[in-house]
Amino acid sequence: MTPPQVYPEKSSIKIFTKGKVIIFDASTLITFAMNGLLPEFRKLKEIFDGKFIITNAVRKEAIDNPIKIKRFELEALRIKSLLDEKILELPQVIGINQVDVLKLTQELLNEANSLFIGNGKEIHIIDIGEASCFALSKILDKKGIQNIMAIDERTMRMLCEKPENLRDLLQSKLHTKINYQKLKNKLFTNCKIIRSSELIYLAYKKNLVRLKGANVLDALLYAMQFKGCSISHEEIEEIKRMK
Amino acid sequence: MEESENVLRILQETKIALEKLDVIALKSLSNQTVHTASVKQDSINIALAVVVYSLSKIFERVDYRKYPDWDKLYKTIIDSIDGSIIAAKNKDENKLKIHLEKIRKSISKLSGNFKKYIEEVFRKASISKASRIYEHGISMEKTAKLLGITMYELADYAGKTGISNMPEGQTTDVKSRIKLVENFFR
Repeated sequence: MTPPQVYPEKSSIKIFTKGKVIIFDASTLITFAMNGLLPEFRKLKEIFDGKFIITNAVRKEAIDNPIKIKRFELEALRIKSLLDEKILELPQVIGINQVDVLKLTQELLNEANSLFIGNGKEIHIIDIGEASCFALSKILDKKGIQNIMAIDERTMRMLCEKPENLRDLLQSKLHTKINYQKLKNKLFTNCKIIRSSELIYLAYKKNLVRLKGANVLDALLYAMQFKGCSISHEEIEEIKRMK
Repeated sequence: MEESENVLRILQETKIALEKLDVIALKSLSNQTVHTASVKQDSINIALAVVVYSLSKIFERVDYRKYPDWDKLYKTIIDSIDGSIIAAKNKDENKLKIHLEKIRKSISKLSGNFKKYIEEVFRKASISKASRIYEHGISMEKTAKLLGITMYELADYAGKTGISNMPEGQTTDVKSRIKLVENFFR
């Protein structure tokens, strides 16, 4: 059955065409939540001229599934409160049809999961929530809405920015020859990706971080890494030199 | 064909390692299962990866053997591995799955703290194997789903490993990314 379409009010679409969008993957929200940095996340939204959007599939991974597990109920509730306060919003609010996102998500999933072949088998590298971020980004591109994706996990970023690196990684780790099918279309190219590390750097630079002191940036960046943000030690040190 | 032979070999070598109480051999067998689990992503190879790693952790702890339920657990493990070997020889995937699941389900028959410890071993084993699969290049969400854990658990564990420092993961220079975010917030 086709899910019901939710249309936002015309006025919000009109306002929105001039705005920008940051699409958040579950991995980035999790990094902020597990580090207790959602207040800083809220402040970033306050200074941003646009929308922070998550897809329904990401909502499921970051909120709906973990909220049922006692160990992660609190973090999930905290992220849910961002939705309740409209810090985070769903694509419907910018006039994006859920069915369109789902359709393109499936297309992207099929493409991504048939790119790398090892031992004669397609290696499924990404899942629906991750693919839905790409899908939404592509739909927004088509509508001429400026957008970037906030993704902390490594595979999606590699797939988009350097798929050859992903092939090399799979090859070296799996000890088997990996055939890389060149992208049939350009769905995964020209994606703009940031991570929680860049967002927290910006929060620090704009004086939005509650903690003050000489070591705060160092602590923040390493905290992001320790909760799953795929940033290397060298990259952290480079960011610190930029402050 | 080749795959089922590999599963059979792992099971047979696991049985030998268990009888010799050879924890190092169990760990090595567990590592071998991760490569196959990453490519095939099927329930048997994933269950095998988690079970063999859990066994290495259970047998590593000599103090566990003092618990009254130890003999019961040991017998179930050996019986289930034997059953798995027969099922693998017969290429009976359903029975193989049942026998592998039986090891995990045997925890419910344990009691007190011992039950809690063994439960925790299996939970941590799933997270540890998930982290290894993520390290191999499978995405965080995909891996979490394969292992039946949350992305929170995987992010927390994987963040403490050296995965983010692997050179392949560096795709765009950090200055460009900072510039991108600064411009986007302007």
